Amino acid sequence: MSSGLADGGLLLLSFLVPLIVILVGLPPFLRFLTRVGRTSQDAHKNPPIRVPEPAGPMLFIAALIGELFVALSFQSWVPVAIMLGAGVAFIIGLADDLFVLGGKTKPLLLLLAGIAFTGVVLFRPNLYQPVLTFPLLGDTAPHFTIYTLLAVVAFPVVSNAFNMMDAFNGEISWFTLLTSLALLAGVSLHAAYTSGFDLARIGATLPLVAVAAGFLVFNRYPSRAFDGDSGALMFGAMFAGLAITGGVEVAAMVAIVPAILNSFYTLSSVRGFVERRKMASRPTYIGSDGLLYPSTEPGAPNTLIRLVLLAGALNEKDLVKSLVYLTLVACLFSVAISFLTWVI
Amino acid sequence: MKLAPLFGIEAAAFLLIIAETYLFFNFVIPIGSIPHSLTGYTGLALLKLGSIAALVALWFVVMIGLTRLYVREKIKAAPRPSS
Repeated sequence: MSSGLADGGLLLLSFLVPLIVILVGLPPFLRFLTRVGRTSQDAHKNPPIRVPEPAGPMLFIAALIGELFVALSFQSWVPVAIMLGAGVAFIIGLADDLFVLGGKTKPLLLLLAGIAFTGVVLFRPNLYQPVLTFPLLGDTAPHFTIYTLLAVVAFPVVSNAFNMMDAFNGEISWFTLLTSLALLAGVSLHAAYTSGFDLARIGATLPLVAVAAGFLVFNRYPSRAFDGDSGALMFGAMFAGLAITGGVEVAAMVAIVPAILNSFYTLSSVRGFVERRKMASRPTYIGSDGLLYPSTEPGAPNTLIRLVLLAGALNEKDLVKSLVYLTLVACLFSVAISFLTWVI
Repeated sequence: MKLAPLFGIEAAAFLLIIAETYLFFNFVIPIGSIPHSLTGYTGLALLKLGSIAALVALWFVVMIGLTRLYVREKIKAAPRPSS
């Protein structure tokens, strides 16, 4: 009983510590960014305003402190592997924030995040199980080499998918919060119905939930902070790592389907990896009434945003609300998948 | 209700992802035993790669088809800014 209470307390602190770091640390960091002139134009405001960017370094510090707390509390290597992958993704994102990397360079470099993460398996073979568990159908046979290769590739894919969901006020923070909650539900159900499951795998999920929740306070409409590529890529890398260590890959894929579709639409319509600043035409535009409209140009990228706006012009706040609904539905399906996988 | 068609595309996307991932891990990877000749080994590898490419292509074709259908229906009635 006392051990259960202690574990519960440690899990609660794994959530509270990074949350407090964000809520206390981000305001002075945003003032610093403004003072040194690191602000970006919020293109969807009329007239445009400037917002401090990147908040990624503070998000990374909060996540790092949270994961270190989990690693020390539960004596686990899982948070170390998560932060190795997320750290590499953060550094690549920061380089992009400061110097702007090419459209193809970024995904290639992000393979290093996957390599850093999977490298830990050389020292801790139980970091992940090389099987996928499907709802009702059970486990596949173990395939270590194929699974590890897919795990490495998952990092650039998922990180870029998160990064592409970072176009409007609050979009990335809502998306990360909802998908990480679905992930937490999946890992918790996995733990509850599997004997000998390591509690650190639940604990490692909590800093991501906490950082996303804390950042939402500053990033929601109207945004007072943008995360930059450093924040979005780190969120994606953490999500990928947590899905793998938690053994909830299938449910995680379902939760991020809106981001997968968004990436697919963008990549298929611009025919390859093109840095968003270099896209020939915008998928949306602001009308004189202040509403966002889908571009009717034939060469306009077919993003998820454009598809949502084809159902009717929206202001930025309502557009993000629509994206939240799409994410929420995917996350509810994800929780149902986790339930069917681990409980039934 | 305006988002209902997009919810449908979303559901189709994840159902296909789950089904294809299951096929990949349970049927494509275990195809055949390891053959003892280079030709046999190459043929088996090509068969697996072809199967993977077919699964990916199927997802692309279905998604592009559904999206084109949605865009075609919506673009006619797409709102224009009031001037």
